[in-house]
Amino acid sequence: MIDFFNTWFPYIYLYVGGGIFFIAGMILIRKTKAIDMRLKRDRFWWKVLIVGFFYFALIHALLIIAALYL
Amino acid sequence: MEPIQSIGTQLDWVVLVIYMISMLLFGTYFAKYNNDTNDFFFGGRRFTWWIIAMSIVATGISSHSFIKYSAMGFKYGFSSSMSYINDWFFVPFFLFGWLPIIIYSRIRSIPEYFERRFSPSARFLVTILQLLYLVGYVGIGFLTMGKAILPLMPEFVTIFGMQIHITLMGLIWITAIVTGIYITFGGQTAVIFTDLVQGVMLLSAGFIVFFLGVSYVGGWDSFWSLLPTTWKLPLAHFNSPAEFNSVGTFWEDGIAGSVGFLFMNMGLIMRFMATKNVHEGRKAATINILFMLPVSAIVVGGGGWVAKAISIKFPNLIPAGTEADEVFVVIANILTGPGVFGFIIASIAAALMSTVATLLNAAAAIWVNDVDKPIRIWMKKVKKEDPVDEKRAMVIARGATVAFTLLGVISVYAFSSYPTIYQAHAFFHATLTPPLMVAIFFGVFWKKFTPAGLVTTIFGGISLMLLGNRFPLELIAPISQGTPYDPVHPFTYMAALYNLIVTSAVAILVTLFQEQLKSLANKIKKNANGNIIMNVIIVFIAIVVIYVVATAIFKLSFVPFLPLLLTTILLMSAVGLSTTYYVKYDAKAQTLGLTIWSIHQAKEWFKGSKLNEREGENVVASWKLVETDNEDIINFSKHDMNKMAAEAGDMVYISDTRKYLGGLKSCHTIYGEPHTENGVVYIRKLHVEKGLFVEGRLLEAEKEM
Repeated sequence: MIDFFNTWFPYIYLYVGGGIFFIAGMILIRKTKAIDMRLKRDRFWWKVLIVGFFYFALIHALLIIAALYL
Repeated sequence: MEPIQSIGTQLDWVVLVIYMISMLLFGTYFAKYNNDTNDFFFGGRRFTWWIIAMSIVATGISSHSFIKYSAMGFKYGFSSSMSYINDWFFVPFFLFGWLPIIIYSRIRSIPEYFERRFSPSARFLVTILQLLYLVGYVGIGFLTMGKAILPLMPEFVTIFGMQIHITLMGLIWITAIVTGIYITFGGQTAVIFTDLVQGVMLLSAGFIVFFLGVSYVGGWDSFWSLLPTTWKLPLAHFNSPAEFNSVGTFWEDGIAGSVGFLFMNMGLIMRFMATKNVHEGRKAATINILFMLPVSAIVVGGGGWVAKAISIKFPNLIPAGTEADEVFVVIANILTGPGVFGFIIASIAAALMSTVATLLNAAAAIWVNDVDKPIRIWMKKVKKEDPVDEKRAMVIARGATVAFTLLGVISVYAFSSYPTIYQAHAFFHATLTPPLMVAIFFGVFWKKFTPAGLVTTIFGGISLMLLGNRFPLELIAPISQGTPYDPVHPFTYMAALYNLIVTSAVAILVTLFQEQLKSLANKIKKNANGNIIMNVIIVFIAIVVIYVVATAIFKLSFVPFLPLLLTTILLMSAVGLSTTYYVKYDAKAQTLGLTIWSIHQAKEWFKGSKLNEREGENVVASWKLVETDNEDIINFSKHDMNKMAAEAGDMVYISDTRKYLGGLKSCHTIYGEPHTENGVVYIRKLHVEKGLFVEGRLLEAEKEM
């Protein structure tokens, strides 16, 4: 039987749990100036990191929707 | 249950053997690029991102192989390869923390980092953990390989009238010998280039099986409708069954596995160290995780998914009694014709060889740098500052590769008790990754983390992990988040969370109480019986560690759970105290350039002078050989220097302009004083030799910093 624990709960757990580590990493690299936002190249990487997180979240969400409704 | 054997035809064998010989010859061809240990281990630090990204595919796919993901795909569906798309969380830490630190600090191995950041004793402990990690990984690779090839083999072969029974372990020994030969002579450049070919073969093989399977059941619509909805979900059920669930996979693979793969896997780290600079390393890692891993998820799991659909539509096609780990080979044999099946198996062999070769090369690097060299320094045969005896180091590296190949095969015996390779791998990750993960993470990202914190994390953390293994219901069950208890392999996945918590807690507590430990250590130093006190503490540590190890291995129960737990906590205080007492540590000097808080400093040290971060353009120029000297400098015209925003003394990377070489013909050097001939670069004999530049070919120059 398909329930919330099969579908969206693992998704929420993954992106909330993983998101905590991800945000901690993003804050740390800014705070320590390991990523230098004055450099064009580093500004590009900052965007890539954020887009990457949502890219995977979107892939997972679309796959769940496809499994449930297609 | 008897394993399936004797499937496939003679043509498949011909394809497999031709492939193996081709890879051996291809790998050994690149031996000519190994002038020294820098080339053997790091490929001369010259490659562009796409070569490294592609070679990582081959390594990554094998370590999470066709066999194990198809097995889980057959049992649970698309969620089998969910661990391929949960690696992004730690990417910020890696791209802007660990990657620049390992490159700018010019370390040659992870243990070497620990000596510089903490102490020689920290290096020693991390070396042991690293070698265990690599040997275990090699063992998993060999087990996968054996399970892939065994179905092709007859039960017996007759050689000179003697009937030989073909067993899984016998087969593993033979494949180990072939792999050992190829990596022993080829080195890192061989690994990178053979991986390039193998990566393409792997992707092709996986897609062939997947598309043939979809077509076999009548096309995409039929395939989609045959699978139950639960099989189509990308994530497994939250906490059941015990052998496969989301929460367990999150902690074991998404957290421990991702960090293990990106931060601890010396084989992978060496790939990034083979890129021409940090920026290229970032590109290689990002492209690999964003695009190659999702594609690989289909490639490795697809065999199991189509096998499931076929088993629903044609219930008698897959033989009854087929084990999960045999599904990929069995379904590939059903779907493909003679010869193509051989190609599919050859690509699994390719996958294994890539991973194992990378890991063996890494283990050899650690042996040369972290065992052989320190021992020779300790025996006073060489001094720390002496240059490396390259000839001797290469002999040692090759000998170590052979030795680790043998150890890898022996370690297979430890994993063979698990019902599937997936679970064996999960146990391996959950057990070996957390202490090293915590050590690296806190070392790189927390300035206050001390040698006492590190050593206690390893001793105390591992002791608590062993107690968790012995008393899973008392220690792991409370945090198992509803995952069922399997008495044979208790909490294979959730052990990762428990192990992470205990090792992190030990690291944090000891570091926070560092001042108290220091003051206690000083009091003992001033005490007339200080040495006796310390000897008693060390004997206590040894007894407790031995007892805890024996308790976990032999399931002893002389001491009840609670007293044993309290004694282990006492052990941690003792380890923290004795490390503080014996290890000299200069917090300021030993964190500068070695933590994320001082990366700029690391970059300056890497260059050896002040940084020039002005952005310029690349310049293409023809080259002329300067024969009057052989200094490690090259000269451009003033105009070209301005175009690159470069100054004399800056670092520059020059390469053959043919992009498809991926940096194979290239080298790093320094700008000298400018001349007046625009479009021409003056280079020396050493650059021609290092970069293998061809006369008449143009060179492209890129200012580094």
